[in-house]
Amino acid sequence: MIEIRSLTFGYGRSPLFDSLDLRLEGGRAYGLLGLNGAGKTSLLKLLAGALIPLSGKAEVFGRVPAKREAAHLADVAFVPEDPWLPSIPPSAWLARYAIFRPAFDRERFDELRREFVIGEQKALSKLSYGQRKKFALAAALASGARTILLDEPTNGLDIPSKMQFRKALVSALSEDRVIVVSTHQVRDLESLIDPILILDKGRLAIELDAEELSTTLASAHVSSLEGMQVVYAERDALGWSALVARRGGDGFSPAAAVSSAAVSSAAVSSAAVSSAAVSSADLELVFNAALAEPSRLAAAVAGGELAPYVPAADMEGKE
Amino acid sequence: MEAQSLDRRFSLVRVARLLRNRVLDEASTIGIGAAIVLACNLLSLLVSHRAFYNSQGIGPSPWIVTIVLGGLLLAGGSLKAMHDGKSGTEWLLLPATPLEKYAAALADSILFFPLAAAIGAIAMSALLALLERAAGGPGDRVWAPFDARALVAWADYAVAALVLLAGSAAFRKAALLKTAAIFVAFGIAFLGLSALGLLAFFGKHGGSASQLRFFSGWLHIEGAGGNLSERAQKALAVGFKIARYAILPIFAILFGAARVAEKEARDEVQ
Repeated sequence: MIEIRSLTFGYGRSPLFDSLDLRLEGGRAYGLLGLNGAGKTSLLKLLAGALIPLSGKAEVFGRVPAKREAAHLADVAFVPEDPWLPSIPPSAWLARYAIFRPAFDRERFDELRREFVIGEQKALSKLSYGQRKKFALAAALASGARTILLDEPTNGLDIPSKMQFRKALVSALSEDRVIVVSTHQVRDLESLIDPILILDKGRLAIELDAEELSTTLASAHVSSLEGMQVVYAERDALGWSALVARRGGDGFSPAAAVSSAAVSSAAVSSAAVSSAAVSSADLELVFNAALAEPSRLAAAVAGGELAPYVPAADMEGKE
Repeated sequence: MEAQSLDRRFSLVRVARLLRNRVLDEASTIGIGAAIVLACNLLSLLVSHRAFYNSQGIGPSPWIVTIVLGGLLLAGGSLKAMHDGKSGTEWLLLPATPLEKYAAALADSILFFPLAAAIGAIAMSALLALLERAAGGPGDRVWAPFDARALVAWADYAVAALVLLAGSAAFRKAALLKTAAIFVAFGIAFLGLSALGLLAFFGKHGGSASQLRFFSGWLHIEGAGGNLSERAQKALAVGFKIARYAILPIFAILFGAARVAEKEARDEVQ
């Protein structure tokens, strides 16, 4: 269990977080999204104990990270985006560093190391970025820590390793463990992270769980936006990638919803909206919607009616 | 037992593990240093049939000078990893308290290194004596630091190492130079203030301090208006020793420990 209350933190004069409140429950893998500089890494470091808040309180399983008690540090595994590893082989690393974590699962670590195909002889500092990342992820997932904090875990991983990582992350999930994954690569992890937390301007802009997402939002690729309950849309070469509101709870099919909405519009009666183009909510669109159209997104999730969508480009034209 | 020790604020087991890690990390650097000393002495054996580290000379033994300089260099960079952009985060988040991490660095610089280096130096000195004899030289001297002078040298070294360790906790770059500069600046300021104070004191008594002498650990103060009494000189000398061997080390330890405790893995990019 992680609880943050009225936390303030910043670099220099400008606060990064001003009175941030957050509560994270066990048994879930939280996806932490935000623009560059939104404070994702800083939040992970605050939870790990590498940074100290200016005011407010953070508690991780009842302990205050800023105190850096050994029990807290052994119960948290933080993998930075570019992990540092010493110039020693894996066996020496186990003997010198893993021993500080009594719950470290050596067998699980060896399994993960084999799955990630990490060599046993080479000095860890000489491994490639991707290899170092895999080693650090294997160490974190085998650490026995109840809080696992991962910063851009899929950056630098090859495609098979991403799959292995997803498998390993799923198997690491348990009721007494909180996993927080900060990422820009949401598509790598969209089937895993639940819920998503979007940080913006020093606060939690929105928290959405997978059920809310699947029942209230869908993504569609359409040639026109007219007649649809559009939350947010981006123009592309073939039309629009749109995040649309579902009418949850009444058996309303997302594909039919978009198709019928598009087709029923006189202006776009010939719009080619195939059911195959409709899918569950794309997390990149959700993220962009949270930043560009936060009130529409909130209304859509709450099941409210949305005003006709005016794309950002049209808005600029009107202004 | 392991899980229980995690709840302790200070665990000697963790300190011992941290110390072992430090020693292993430093082993290659110390090995290179030892190899250089050995090579220099072998060269001197070849040229003059004498290992110059074992030769009787004026001033302190080269063994002591080497160990002290080596130890001070290590102490000056003792907490370097803590400031590093990448390794710093790992260092801070290694499951041991900041106090334990500082204690391990302190034990390494103050106790382990001088002791291990002295033992190594005795062994190397003995080896060089044998080689010297085999090369036709006298080979009759083996360095043995079992006297009061070695203890005094260690005490002076320990004070300096503690100050450098505190500097290493405070400064990210060029910690050794910055600490030395600050130490010298404070030293000059302290002497300046002392001189002013003494001038004022002698002024009151109708004279002026013309000379401050530090000799054999005693502070001799002579002035045109008359010397300080023996008792006053002793009191000043004791005060000076307390400042040097108690106040300064305690301040350095507390300052260094506080800097380690408050250290953050701040991202410079931010």
